[in-house]
Formats: sequence, C-alpha cells, structure tokens
Amino acid sequence: MGFFDIVAAAMPWSESEAEAVSGGSSTVSTPANSGGKGEGEAKDPSGPTPDDKDEGGDEGEEKEDGGEKEEEEEEEEEEEEELVDPKETFEEECKESKACAPVKHHFEECVERVTGNTDSKAPHEDCVEEFFHLAHCANQCAAPKLWAALK
Amino acid sequence: MLARSRLFVGAVRNAAVNTTKRAASTSAEAASPFKLNAAGTAATAVAMGSMAWYYHLYGPELHAMTPVEEGLHPTKYPWVHAQYTKTFDHQALRRGFQVYREVCASCHSLSRIPYRSLVGTVLTVDEAKAMAEENEYDTEPNDEGEIEKRPGKLSDYLPSPYKNDEAARAANNGALPPDLSLMVKARHGGCDYIFSLLTGYPEETPAGAVVPEGLNFNPYFPGTGIAMARVLYNELVEYEDETPATTSQMAKDVVEFLNWSAEPEMDQRKKMGMKVLVITSALFALSVWVKRYKWSPVKTRKVVYAQPQMGGRRGH
Repeated sequence: MGFFDIVAAAMPWSESEAEAVSGGSSTVSTPANSGGKGEGEAKDPSGPTPDDKDEGGDEGEEKEDGGEKEEEEEEEEEEEEELVDPKETFEEECKESKACAPVKHHFEECVERVTGNTDSKAPHEDCVEEFFHLAHCANQCAAPKLWAALK
Repeated sequence: MLARSRLFVGAVRNAAVNTTKRAASTSAEAASPFKLNAAGTAATAVAMGSMAWYYHLYGPELHAMTPVEEGLHPTKYPWVHAQYTKTFDHQALRRGFQVYREVCASCHSLSRIPYRSLVGTVLTVDEAKAMAEENEYDTEPNDEGEIEKRPGKLSDYLPSPYKNDEAARAANNGALPPDLSLMVKARHGGCDYIFSLLTGYPEETPAGAVVPEGLNFNPYFPGTGIAMARVLYNELVEYEDETPATTSQMAKDVVEFLNWSAEPEMDQRKKMGMKVLVITSALFALSVWVKRYKWSPVKTRKVVYAQPQMGGRRGH
C-alpha cells in the first residue's frame, strides 16, 4: 500500500505483525477494513462484526414480540455490548493465565481470610498488597496485547 | 684483572657462608609462609570484617514505606511515540485533545498551552481560531482605565476552569486538580503512570482496604486514596474519526496529547538528533580521509640505513 507496508513487511518484529499474533479471539479482521497506516493499525477485539451478528438475532426476536419498549431495551443492551474495553478483557484473560495463577491464588486466599475474619478481634488486615501483585502480573501480561489492539 | 680476581675470591667465600645458611633455613621453611603472610592475612581479615560490619550497619535499605504508600508501579507500555525514530501520532493528539477538552478540562487547566501551538499539530488554523473565540479574555485597559472582555485570539492561552487554586480546592472538596501542561514530565513513570492511573480504577476495592471519606481507591496513586474519581468510561467521547472510544483508547490518546503538551518540541528534537548523527558521522568520515591524506607522505616514506663507507680501510 505504501512505504510503511514495505517497512512493516521488512520488519517482522514490528507492531503491525505483533497484532496478528495477539488478535482477540472474537475478532474477525478483514484486511479491507484496515487503512493504510502502517503501525498501530489494530482491530478492537470488540469489533463490529460480532455485535452485528447479535443485532441480527435480536432483531429477529424483536419482530416476534413487537413493541417499542423491547426496542429501547435492546438498544441499551446494544450499547452495553457494543464496546468492551480491551484492557479489561485482556487483563481478565491474563489473570486466569498460568503465569498469574500463584498471585491470583494468594489474592483469593487473602480475600477469603479477610472477609471471613470480620467477627473476631484479629488485627486488621487488607489485601492491597496481594491485589498489587495480581494487578502487576495481569497488566504486565496484557500490555503488549492491549497496545496491539488500540489505535 | 685485579678487581675481577678479588670479586671471585669474595664470591667463593660468600658461597660457603650461604650454603650453611640455606641448610639451616630449610628446616624452618614449613612454618615460614604463615609468618610471611600473617600481616597480609590480618589486614585482609580486617578489611573484610569492616565491609561486613558496614553492610550490617548501613547495607540493607530501610523500607519505611509500605507498598500501599508507594503505590503500584505502572506497567511499561510500548508507546510508539517514545521510540527514537517515531513522532507523535497527530491523529491521536487530535483525539486526545478532544478527550481533554470534553472530559479533563472541566477540572484541570492546561495553562501553558496557547491556541497558536495547537495550530498545525492538533488543529487547523480556522479550528483553533474558532475555538479561541469561544472564550473571553481581558483586554488591555481602555482610555477610561476599564478592563473589558474580548473574544480569544490564537495568541491566548487555554482557559483554566477555575480562577485560582483556592477556587479549585473549594470546588473539589479541598483537593487541587493539578495543571496538566507538564504532567507527563512531572510524575514518575510519565505516560505509563497517567495511563495506568486513568484506567486502573478497580471495580471493587480489595478486601480490607480502607478508603477515606471522599477519596477513591486507585492502586497507582501513592497511598491509593485519590480525590479524582474514575472519569473515563466507554463511549464518553464520540471521536470524529470513528475510533471506538473505549476507556483505554481515550486514556491512551489523552496521555499522548499530554505528552505533546509537555514536550511539544519532541518531533523536532528527534529530527535534530538525527541531523546531529548525520553531520557528525559525515565529519568523522571526512576526518578519516583527511588524516589519510595528510599522513600519506609519512606512511609512504622509506627509511633506509646505508652503511657508511669507511674508505679503503674496509677490510680491516
């Protein structure tokens, strides 16, 4: 397409390539949609395609039921579904990943301990530190994926 | 001849003495290394001991701060504009300015940025003029000494949301929303910190964490209690280039914009750095060739030793 594409092709480690690896599971990326801007060209994992499918399904239901209220509700649902912050989805994925399993385990254990401990006169404890470790792990893992997904 | 013979006699005499001494010392040789090395060993032991003692006294760093007080260190994100040969993405700057104007500007000033500097980097001239004219600024005193209001010009600075810091505090429960002009330079972690802060508000505070009244939990803010609540939500802004306005997209854009506002010279600076490299490498190459040229007579000189002619007495 242009100079940047040649550059991108010459550098397999460039970001445009990294996107493809980490592309969200729900993404159906069509090359026609992608513009001509070499790097940072990424599909949001919550791209329009899955939503469009949902829309179609909902419309079908709507016709059966009829009624404007249903429509409004459907619109609200649409708005909720339309945009999912890729950061959250990636971080959720990362929290479930094997690498973050130990810290997640620690955090959950701490939450259980602290929430279960409210009655006794035990010294005050919080799970902030455990939360930090978990958040750090998840962010570290999600950062490159997120940057590939954002414009 | 005489002196030589005398030396020889002395040597013989000495040799006789030496052999007896050597014979005597061989018995003590087993014990001698310790004696010889005792001072060195002791000095080394003292030196090592003093190091150990120093480490014991001052070595381990004292961490008076809890992790909570320090705050969660931001993750490093692979910012494209931070690379040596990359510029700001001006489309992102434009989006970021939109986010600033529609979201941040209600509390945060950007007082060091005039409209003129937005021209050509973020806005077109006409857009910037129109935007400046939306605000009123004080005029110079007129003939009666009255100060009137006039519409803004390109040379005016972006208006601040509050008249002064006190007004800002009064409106924000005692907390002062800082000016954002240089914020990327003013905080540890720079872009990463601000991005993490904007997107890092967890859905629920971790169990047991105490958040004071009027504050919000944010792991990246030192102390975790921040007066600013989460402001960025999906689709808060509608981008003109139809980029999906997710929370992280808006945060990324506004952070890049704030980096521009802190370092508007960045693109030029990198270009200048490239120029410096080009010119110095060219000059170095030139100097290599000049040196070669200047040294060529020296390098190609041949020094020949011609044995002096000793005339007829050569065969002596």
